Amino acid sequence: MKQTLDRSRRRHSGLVISKRRFVASVTVPLLLYEALGIFVLAWAFVLMFFDYSPGRLGGPILGLGGSNPFVGLGNFIEMFSGDSVQAGLFRASLRNTLIFAVAVLPLNLAITLPLAWLLESIGNRFKALYRTIYFLPVLTSSVGVALIWMSMYDPQAGWINAIIRAFGGTPVAWLSDPRAGFAGVSVAMWAVIIAYLWQDYGYNMVIFIAALQGVPQELREAALIDGANSWQAFTRITLPLIRPTMLFVCVMTMLSSFQVFDIIQVMTNGGPNNQTQVLMLDIYKSAFRYQNMGWAAAESFVLFLIVMGVTLFQMRVLRTDWEY
Amino acid sequence: MAVNTLSASVVQPRKSFGWGRFLGRFLIYFVLTLGLSFTLLPFVMMILSSFKTNVEALRVPPTFWPENFTLENYLKIFNDPQLPLLRFYGNSAFVAIFNVCSTLFTSSLIGYMFAKFEFPGKKILFGWFLTLMMIPTQITMIPSYLILAKLGLINSLWGLVIFSAVDAFGIFMMRQFCETLPTELLDAARIDGASEWQIYWRIVLPQLGAPLATLGILGFMGNWNAYLWPMIVLQKIEVRTLPVILTWFNSTHTGQPAVVMAATVLIVVPILIVFMFFQRWIVQGFTMTGFK
Amino acid sequence: MKHKILALLMVLALALTACGGRTEQAGDEGVIVLRMWVHTNNAFIAGYEAAIAAYEAEHPNVDIQLENFDYELYLQTLQTAMPAGEEADILQLFGTWTSQYYERLAPVPPEVMTVEEAQQTFYAAPIGGFIVNGVLYGMPQEFNMEYGGVLVNKSLYEAAGLTYPPQWQTMDDVLADARALVQTDASGMMTVAGFHFTSADPTAFSFLAGIKQRGGDYWNADRTGFTFNTPEARAQLQWMVDAVNAGVVDPVVFNDETNFVIDAFFQGKVGIGYIGSWAIAEGQANFPDFADEWDYCYLPPFQGDPVFVADSGWGLTVSPNSPHQDIAWDFVKFVTTNPQIATQWNIASGTIPAMPVVAESPEIAAAMPWVPKALEILPYGQYLGNMPDRDLVVYEIIYPHILNTLQGVETVDQALQAIDTEANSTFR
Repeated sequence: MKQTLDRSRRRHSGLVISKRRFVASVTVPLLLYEALGIFVLAWAFVLMFFDYSPGRLGGPILGLGGSNPFVGLGNFIEMFSGDSVQAGLFRASLRNTLIFAVAVLPLNLAITLPLAWLLESIGNRFKALYRTIYFLPVLTSSVGVALIWMSMYDPQAGWINAIIRAFGGTPVAWLSDPRAGFAGVSVAMWAVIIAYLWQDYGYNMVIFIAALQGVPQELREAALIDGANSWQAFTRITLPLIRPTMLFVCVMTMLSSFQVFDIIQVMTNGGPNNQTQVLMLDIYKSAFRYQNMGWAAAESFVLFLIVMGVTLFQMRVLRTDWEY
Repeated sequence: MAVNTLSASVVQPRKSFGWGRFLGRFLIYFVLTLGLSFTLLPFVMMILSSFKTNVEALRVPPTFWPENFTLENYLKIFNDPQLPLLRFYGNSAFVAIFNVCSTLFTSSLIGYMFAKFEFPGKKILFGWFLTLMMIPTQITMIPSYLILAKLGLINSLWGLVIFSAVDAFGIFMMRQFCETLPTELLDAARIDGASEWQIYWRIVLPQLGAPLATLGILGFMGNWNAYLWPMIVLQKIEVRTLPVILTWFNSTHTGQPAVVMAATVLIVVPILIVFMFFQRWIVQGFTMTGFK
Repeated sequence: MKHKILALLMVLALALTACGGRTEQAGDEGVIVLRMWVHTNNAFIAGYEAAIAAYEAEHPNVDIQLENFDYELYLQTLQTAMPAGEEADILQLFGTWTSQYYERLAPVPPEVMTVEEAQQTFYAAPIGGFIVNGVLYGMPQEFNMEYGGVLVNKSLYEAAGLTYPPQWQTMDDVLADARALVQTDASGMMTVAGFHFTSADPTAFSFLAGIKQRGGDYWNADRTGFTFNTPEARAQLQWMVDAVNAGVVDPVVFNDETNFVIDAFFQGKVGIGYIGSWAIAEGQANFPDFADEWDYCYLPPFQGDPVFVADSGWGLTVSPNSPHQDIAWDFVKFVTTNPQIATQWNIASGTIPAMPVVAESPEIAAAMPWVPKALEILPYGQYLGNMPDRDLVVYEIIYPHILNTLQGVETVDQALQAIDTEANSTFR
């Protein structure tokens, strides 16, 4: 009796040891990797207080100091009140990023929610086909999407101008005319917004379809029997039930449009007259074209604050929604 | 659910057939098909343009159907010694497969550990992971680049994989799934004398098949289509991945839209077909995780 | 089985002796391996390979290994390799980069070449870029001239009923030809530009040259700041605006991003295309099917002498981290100053020579007929001046604001004011 107790205790302690060994063998490399992560973050944080370019020799630690001088909050002060070309570009990019995000969100919802609802309401074997095709652009490389749309926007041989010509209108140099605008936003910006929406709407559609499938059919039918029409059933029953998804979709769409890069870099590279220069593109150019990495790090931090703000806002809104 | 909606819609029209209802149906299909054509048309244009001669592709107004159906653009690409497409496919495949394998391994292992083991500092470590999830790549991009430069990994495909071996989101997701695993099952294996690694490999991993597949296909797609970071890290032509090579090809072939479209077809379409087959998992992954 | 082992042994033995033999040879003569980095340009590389072969024939103990990088990114490779001290022994360097890199570069040893010797050997514009604070850091191989050269499409000239080759006395003659060359489609969109001067480099460099020719300067007296808001700059910018208003080019459809001058010219969409002569090789390579006849000519000055500025050109330098700096400098001097080698390099790369001796040679005239046409104006070339960030000033400040003015979204005054403020802010 005593012996078996001993044995089980021994086995038990052996198990604990092997468990600990396992945990240690996973956590130790993980901690090292995380240390690297913290180091990278710290470096990113320090960089934004320096006028740093990797081409210059600089000081002994990470090339900071010396010919890469400490500027304190100088980068941030310059961003918001300076008259240098970088500061001008930053402010233009910030404005363009906001325009882009603010335009994309309502347009995206205006396309995806009705289409998802319509698609969900037909419910037959065509549904899968429709959904597959709507989803194709999401699966496509954004560089490919940009090239396809560039060929459509071509001022001479592009299809969009061909249609305009066919109706007797004046063709437009969509991606290069800084003068043309619509609703206070340049046509180049509209052009990239449309290409971006085209690539992106399939994504939100499938999310909405999934949410609509989660709405109990009985509730809707009960409302219809009670004399509500389809529209009332949609606004009174369906919409409130998918509200968490709505909020989620809004925030995700906002976040990804704040960080848009690929399509714009390929299609316009920020032009014409910096009308499509967005923050990510400006950060990329500052850091890797002009090697102005301290400045770019400071710009990234501003973008990070915006993204963070949207995320926190989302959490608040979602929480109140849950409480309700 | 799908069955439910299906039967409902089959039954309803029979119950109340009328012109109003028919018109409504018609309108629904009309709008959906309109959206469908808008989605499909750019793809059709791309494919048709790639079979035109360059002269025809530049013509104003453009033709819809190629007048002289030609394969010359494709032949030009296949015979272009500067564009060894297979090599670029290899580069993309290496990066995507390596990243997917490494993140699947680390995510499942670390997620399992967070779910099923108690150790001091666990909460702090996990909290740190959650924080990492919030930090966008543009913050870490610059120092990561400088580190790669110091390590001499610029222009190396390895430079593209070493920073992506651990994926905070994958760990988070795997932890959720591992928590549903019955602890008795693991303890039984322990009593039977299985080592902890054996338990992970033989018991935990097989249970995680479905979520791992979802995570894997999403990761593969993300890596395959990635553009910004590969463009920064891969500066030499021969090591580039497909999206980066496509923009390079476009910039060196301005004025030859048909060839560029052919290159786009060759780079975009094959993987698109593959993704179409996996679409169910991808959609599932998106709706489950909410992340692209 | 035995045979196989025997065969294997024999192969091994052969391989061993072969290897041994080679190492012994190397040990005897002490082969010195030098690495050399250049940017990817097949014409340039062919020139370098010939130069290396010539040098190695004279110095059998030196082995120079050439590595090349795609242009945009050769820059980045340099910037990442130099801090780590991993760059090659011999580096190809664009003159204007010197002022950004000189901290990490080695001065040319005086026994190889002094600053005075260099200034006598080379044209002022190309050598200027390699001198920072009175110290020489490398030697130029070419005269990079963005000012004054134009591609002229003979077929379009004849179609417009103009005399060919063009006989231009003043810029007004150029504009008159250009107006006749323009074509538009039914909807009023320009399909053929008469005088495409609206790409980045041509716009910026004709702006700077115009300021100089009108007797002004964009540098202040002690070269510590820019002066872009001057009557001369205003007159030059106004000239460009008038040219656009005269309808010689639509800067919305023809600029650096859309219908870039090389692409547009070699598709027959440009009558007179303003671009450096380096474009000839690139256009021929990228558009082998272009059937129109064309020529390369030089424009008359805007006013007075054809004074212009140029930003140096490609040249060579030696890494301070190289263990064999003496040999590397010997090679650089050989490639850049030996008239025979320089001549073959310029012909192979299609570039204007950096040395007057070479530029005036009959070999160059035979191989590149446009160089003799340029000889008259080459001596008027001045170095652009060491800017804190030349690319930023030219591509993000001067060009965008001028293009805006030409496209009508900024006024001349606004543009000059903005260029002046922004360009001066690069000194901080």
